[in-house]
Amino acid sequence: MLEIRSARKTFYAGQPDEKVALDNLDLTLQTGEFGVVIGSNGAGKSTMLNAVSGALSLDSGAILINGDDVTSTPVHKRATRIARVFQDPMLGTAASMTVAENMLLAELRSKKRTLARGLNAKRLADYKERLSVLGLGLENRLETKVELLSGGQRQSLSLIMAVGGSPDLLLLDEHTAALDPRTADLVMQATVRAVDSLKLTTLMVTHNMQHAVDYGHRVIMLDAGRVKLQIGGEEKANVTVAKLVDHFAVKTDAMMLGA
Amino acid sequence: MEFLSSTFTSYVALVPVTLAQSLILAFVVLGIMIPFRTLHFPDLTSEGAYPLGGCVCGILIAAGVNPALAIIAALACGFVAGCCTALIHLRFRIHTLLAGILMMTMLYSINLRIMGKSNLSIFGSDTVYNWAPFVTPGFPVSKIIIAGIIGAGVFLALNWFFKTEKGTALRAVGSNPAMAEAQGISVWISTIVGVGLASAFSATSGALMVQSQGFADVNMGLGILINGLAALMIGEAVVGKKSVFRQLLAPFVGAIIYYQLVSLCLAAGMPPPDLKLATGLFVLAMLALPTLKRGRGAGGAPAHEKLRE
Repeated sequence: MLEIRSARKTFYAGQPDEKVALDNLDLTLQTGEFGVVIGSNGAGKSTMLNAVSGALSLDSGAILINGDDVTSTPVHKRATRIARVFQDPMLGTAASMTVAENMLLAELRSKKRTLARGLNAKRLADYKERLSVLGLGLENRLETKVELLSGGQRQSLSLIMAVGGSPDLLLLDEHTAALDPRTADLVMQATVRAVDSLKLTTLMVTHNMQHAVDYGHRVIMLDAGRVKLQIGGEEKANVTVAKLVDHFAVKTDAMMLGA
Repeated sequence: MEFLSSTFTSYVALVPVTLAQSLILAFVVLGIMIPFRTLHFPDLTSEGAYPLGGCVCGILIAAGVNPALAIIAALACGFVAGCCTALIHLRFRIHTLLAGILMMTMLYSINLRIMGKSNLSIFGSDTVYNWAPFVTPGFPVSKIIIAGIIGAGVFLALNWFFKTEKGTALRAVGSNPAMAEAQGISVWISTIVGVGLASAFSATSGALMVQSQGFADVNMGLGILINGLAALMIGEAVVGKKSVFRQLLAPFVGAIIYYQLVSLCLAAGMPPPDLKLATGLFVLAMLALPTLKRGRGAGGAPAHEKLRE
């Protein structure tokens, strides 16, 4: 379970270009729930995700994972419980290392690293099996350096790396945005399969309204650093892209009037 | 013809001495390779850590300490120096190159303080080279054996370490720090230990050199970094850097070839003072090669182009 309690984050505080990125934001995600976060640019989606992962520290407020306060825990310690797939395929993998080595790093995310040999036969066989699920042939390229893979392959690898070891929380940061439509679809399908089968608590940021409609248990719309709208349950099943876009339109008008 | 044969004769006479020297200096090249290649932390500390190791070892041997113990002490001091460079970079967000320059400048004073004077003779003292089996002490062969054994040991240990779980994590920090952190690896600890380890090797090299040449000098590190870089580039050109094994082998192979080339140049009559200029030009040429290949259009880079490392 993820709880964000009155999170506040201001950039450039006290300067003319002061920007309130998170404005007493409250959000709770139940264990096993798949939340889809939408919102226009600057609504605070990335800030929220960075605050949850620990990459950004909050000015005030608290972040709890399964009831434990992790507000002041550094990124690498939070990583034992949180897995993340970035928008940029380059960010989520170590380019100059092999596919197998990347898988190893992910496997050790929540474990103590020892002086034992990293890539043993048992692990390699396990990675082969886990990668074969993707159907991209990555299972036969374990010794290939990740920099030689395509963006889609890298992102698929990032996903497999993230869902392995069943993290307490999975963060997906527009993870299909940089991919071509066909690959994006493939990665999205793989995401849904993994999240469903492992019952992962997931927070996915997306600009793709169709994805927001099709996937997840709840749509969370952010605006100006707050949760503006939440659609779950029955209502979520009946929501359409047009309805979601409407909520944006109101805001855009308001912005234009305000300006 | 006369020139060629005399050059050849004097070169061949120098081969064993040069080989001993290159095996000792291979540790500096290793100490340059680890931050530059494995950690992507271009580091200049070795220029200060090498004489630091020499000075620590020199003063200890002069005080009658066991030569092996003196090397271990030098190694520990080098490790601390490297940790400081990494800390300066991480804590104060100072560029790695500047952090290294700061460290090596400060180390100059520290080295002088350690020795109390600018050079110290330990000629005639017991050294690790006297322990070489089956050979008469004092000959280059004994140095080749001892430095070679230590070098092989370090090579095998590192080749093993970089494939362990901890070693893989260390390499990940160099490859993609953000990703490493998201995989639960502490970038701070890895960088500090990695750069410390590298400087420890540079200091070891200094200690071995002092025992080999019989004196310690506060200026002994002058230009060592560029020599090491040149050796590293030669090594990488010869054995490549595609795998952990090759990347680790490159410093050793590079050092051996580089110092033989230097010896050949000197035997051919090149004045020793010109050596640093020649080495610098060589490193420059190696770095410039990629842009020259791309043609002139790509050569003139914008002012803020990323530093080539």
